[in-house]
Amino acid sequence: MMPGRIGNLQLAAENPLGLSWHDSAWIPLLNPSNIMDYFSERSNPFFDRTCNNEVVKMQRLSMDQLQNMTGLEYILLHVQDPILYVIRKQLRHSSTQATPLADYYIIAGIVYQAPDLASVLNSRLLSAVHHLQCSFEETMSYSRYHPSKGYWWDFKASKSGLGTLHTTQSAPKETTTTPKEEPSTLFQRQRVDMLLAELVRQFPLPVTQTSTSQSNGVTVKTENSNDKGAEKSAEVNSVGNITIKQEPIDTNHPENLNGSMQNHMEIKTEIKQENMKPPPEKKPRVM
Amino acid sequence: MDEHTLRYEKIDFLGEGQFATVYKARDVKTDKIVAVKKIKIGSRLEAQDGINRTALREIKLLQELQHVNLIGLLDVFGQKSNVSLVFDFMDTDLEIIVKDNNIVLTPANVKAYTIMTLKGLEYLHQNWILHRDLKPNNLLINREGILKIGDFGLAKAFGSPTRINTHQVVTRWYRSPELLFGARQYGTGVDMWAIGCILAELLLRVPFLPGESDLDQLSRIFQVFGTPNEEIWPGMKGLTDYVQFKQFPPQQLRHIFSAASDDLIQLLESLLAIYPPKRCDCTQALQMPYFSNKPAPTVGCKLPMPSNITRMEFEKPSLKRKLLENIDGGSLAKRLQF
Repeated sequence: MMPGRIGNLQLAAENPLGLSWHDSAWIPLLNPSNIMDYFSERSNPFFDRTCNNEVVKMQRLSMDQLQNMTGLEYILLHVQDPILYVIRKQLRHSSTQATPLADYYIIAGIVYQAPDLASVLNSRLLSAVHHLQCSFEETMSYSRYHPSKGYWWDFKASKSGLGTLHTTQSAPKETTTTPKEEPSTLFQRQRVDMLLAELVRQFPLPVTQTSTSQSNGVTVKTENSNDKGAEKSAEVNSVGNITIKQEPIDTNHPENLNGSMQNHMEIKTEIKQENMKPPPEKKPRVM
Repeated sequence: MDEHTLRYEKIDFLGEGQFATVYKARDVKTDKIVAVKKIKIGSRLEAQDGINRTALREIKLLQELQHVNLIGLLDVFGQKSNVSLVFDFMDTDLEIIVKDNNIVLTPANVKAYTIMTLKGLEYLHQNWILHRDLKPNNLLINREGILKIGDFGLAKAFGSPTRINTHQVVTRWYRSPELLFGARQYGTGVDMWAIGCILAELLLRVPFLPGESDLDQLSRIFQVFGTPNEEIWPGMKGLTDYVQFKQFPPQQLRHIFSAASDDLIQLLESLLAIYPPKRCDCTQALQMPYFSNKPAPTVGCKLPMPSNITRMEFEKPSLKRKLLENIDGGSLAKRLQF
């Protein structure tokens, strides 16, 4: 990882939060007295070599001089001896005043930049929005429309390819649409019957044909009942009462799964980027 | 002549060199602090021309030169058999500043010193004069933070194609490779090399190439920049004192000057080019991005001073002293006997 990253200073300038750096030769030797030297290694992309530390070091002066200088400097902020060190980059205005610019933490020898609050919030919001959008897109893919039947959910295709997560997630939506389906079909059935009757009256047909028109109406009915039956066997058993019971169960599932689902999603975004689009800020590879 | 001895009141003894003794004195006429350089009479051999050669050079050249970054020759006067030169008084020099470990030279400070040196030298070169003895010790600084190039004892006009010069010029650590190889015809490159060494010393705070002998000096140069070959330096083997050196690979300057910005490394590489015609001149150097990039050079009054020089006594103490002297009768100051 390290030698490949060295040259990528542009990448670091773009988003240092997506970077880490380490030098494995140093890692077993790290201690509070040499951690600053480790951090000031040339290849460390987090280290600005025009800082006061390097100026003082190059001039072979005492590091105490840093207090009297103004400008960019690095200090060792926190030590938790064998494993964690925190280094702060700050802009010194006077011997008593300095503005922190960034913190870097070194865990087990690997250097990361600590994200600022805005980036954390940004990232969390973005991933939340991303997951929401994914779920909407997923849900949309199950919706069907037919002018004669209106809207309905079709999960048959999903069972083979996609996980159960999505079916459970979209289940509550389905219950709201099933009652909508009933009156529309009823109305349409009457309407179609009426139209057909009108047509039959306008264009009288041979005797043999009239019987088929009747059967036509029947097939429409049976089709509908078949569809209903399939849906019922899949998800909802019968009327409103039971679906209300199921709803809490169904809604509980996504809530419980939320945490694990996020994890799943994150792994996915990192491993197969082609399958699912990760949030844009994840692209420069975190680890 | 007597008016001169009355004009300059000796305040302090400043130092003694090979050819001269220097005193700090006050010019009664203008109430300015000046440095009076009393040239030693020297040996019979030196005196046979009537006057010491280095003093003659300084008088000859400095009378015609006027630049804020060159030491000003204010007056010359003779007393008995001696000659005295009156210069601007300078509080300190770059060598003292470089060696003072209480001072941190920030990138802005280094830039300020380099600009002033290059501007002074540019003027000098434009007037066809080589300084030939540039070193931190000869870059004088006053308490206003103005740097002036001093000591023109080795300065000489250049540019005459037939003239043969001596190569025994420039303090060894700042001597360019062509001088070390015994070149008799050289140009502004010898001064540019010295500037490069001084700039490096400002960054490292120790002499960059402290050779112990002329050969060791060359060896140190090649250890940093790599041993040149005929391709890099055509005609090198024809120089009088040429010796074959072990092959050293060139080093990366940015590893030596770890805190130096890239534009500064570019300037150093240009000043310290092994092949003399490749070296930049002052005008080219001043055009380089280093001088227009950030950080801006430190303004004179903010440049660091050694702790023994207090900037606060700027004007007032001298006024105060003058008042005190008036009360005491003003006759306490020693007269300088030339």
